[in-house]
Amino acid sequence: MSTIQKINFEPVSDVLPITRRDFALADKTLADPLNAVALIDGEWMTLDSSYKAVRAATIGSVGNLATVRSFPLFAERGRYDVRAMADVKMPVLYMGPYEFDTRIFDASVSLGSGAAITTVLQPLKVATVTIGARNVVGLVGHGGSADASPVVGYVTRLPASNGGKLRFMSGWRS
Amino acid sequence: MFNESFSTKIATSEGKEKLAEYGGSYIRDRLREVSYARKVIPPENVVRADCQVSVNHDTLVKIVELEPQSRAMSISFRGQPTARFIRGSRAECAFFTISSEQFQKPEQELLAYNMPITKIIEENSVKDIQEIEDREFTIHIEAAVQALQVEANGGVSTALNASNLTLGAVVEFSVLKGELARSAPTNDATPRALQRQDLVRLFKLLDGNRLRSERLLMTEVDWDDILTWTVEDNGDRIQSETTVDGYKYNTLLGRAYIRTIKTDLLRPGNIYVFTKPEFFGKFYVLNNTKFYIDKIANMITFQAWEDIGMLVANIAAVRKLETYSGDANPTTNADGLIANFIPKSEDALGALNNRVDAGLKFPQITQY
Repeated sequence: MSTIQKINFEPVSDVLPITRRDFALADKTLADPLNAVALIDGEWMTLDSSYKAVRAATIGSVGNLATVRSFPLFAERGRYDVRAMADVKMPVLYMGPYEFDTRIFDASVSLGSGAAITTVLQPLKVATVTIGARNVVGLVGHGGSADASPVVGYVTRLPASNGGKLRFMSGWRS
Repeated sequence: MFNESFSTKIATSEGKEKLAEYGGSYIRDRLREVSYARKVIPPENVVRADCQVSVNHDTLVKIVELEPQSRAMSISFRGQPTARFIRGSRAECAFFTISSEQFQKPEQELLAYNMPITKIIEENSVKDIQEIEDREFTIHIEAAVQALQVEANGGVSTALNASNLTLGAVVEFSVLKGELARSAPTNDATPRALQRQDLVRLFKLLDGNRLRSERLLMTEVDWDDILTWTVEDNGDRIQSETTVDGYKYNTLLGRAYIRTIKTDLLRPGNIYVFTKPEFFGKFYVLNNTKFYIDKIANMITFQAWEDIGMLVANIAAVRKLETYSGDANPTTNADGLIANFIPKSEDALGALNNRVDAGLKFPQITQY
């Protein structure tokens, strides 16, 4: 089981080639660190029809799967720069390949046609999971060809050999 | 040619430092204006040592202290005053970045321009950045007046429009409707002419609260209404001067004023009045505008940015006059007209005036 810490999402590849794009939050209150459902670095976001960022899956129930293209949040909870802007924008990794370590995942669950995270280069998908007492939108194992959920990346290092963090590389397959 | 010289110079480190302007004539699309926020709150430069960091992430705030409360009292020879345990409030002013777009162009394509296109963009970028400063500032001052308005209406966000004023259903505490707006038959988004009496009533919102109105902020559109004031408003000397030269004084009714052409940020019909900055808020600059330029192979890339923080610490130090009759409270938006009153989105700013790319220029001659 992963744990949420201060820093939950760290690059292990060069960030310069990645297009990091700030999007205004559809719900500005999610940038408030005192909000019980505040956004955490490494959560997965998508865009709504107003070109604003929303969670890729609703966090009301564990197991909700993301069904559209989603992007990881590259900003820690409660950052001052995010909250200082009138539009309250948060940066996501929008385009370009990358490899990151994340704590926002659940390796043990098997959601939909998915599978637990057990092997290197296993595809990953996005769903609402519980870490500690919080529901967050993070990575879970993809089930391969039988799984209709979009793939957002591939495991490159399992948590057991990476200090409890999941290392993954980006990659998209709808 | 400037652009040819630009491509050559950028290949050397000395050349990157400064590229001299090369003359050229071109048609400007629109006026660009320096920041009005900087005229209301003059920016102060701060350094890292002035700021605080978080233990949770790597961003900065500057902590601003507010004046402590105190009072005096009359007492008898034998009595003693009430005690006050000293405490001063503090507020955080957080920093963020405002950046230009990241401009890119192959050096060969720069040769296609006679005008110093890179230099023009560089100079315009500074004003584009200040435009976003103004957008941030406008949203913050609007939030301030609306917050105080909610407080004055018993903690309830209440629509401020002509119909509610007729019913006596709303208190005008930090936002005021103009005389012509409050008597309008419908709630609409049309700014009415600014009356002298409107400004006096606006000043009283501040002057009646142990503060003093010092500075007006309005659009050029609203300013033009002042040119229609009659001899009864102006007196014959000012009236005759204004008829010939326009209004030329630095103050209006004893207050300094700031006029802006940025009507997509400060929308016509919205007029704010402020106290002196020391009663109002802070505008800090952590990093003044930086300019980055690079060339990889034949692709030239450049970008400008600054790091700033803004704080409206005393929300009672700004008040607003609305010369339209509709509701501009973003929470209630009772008349569905809010888009007419608030700043446009960042990506809607700077819309083109000219229509040359659509073929609209006259006479319609094309190269053949």
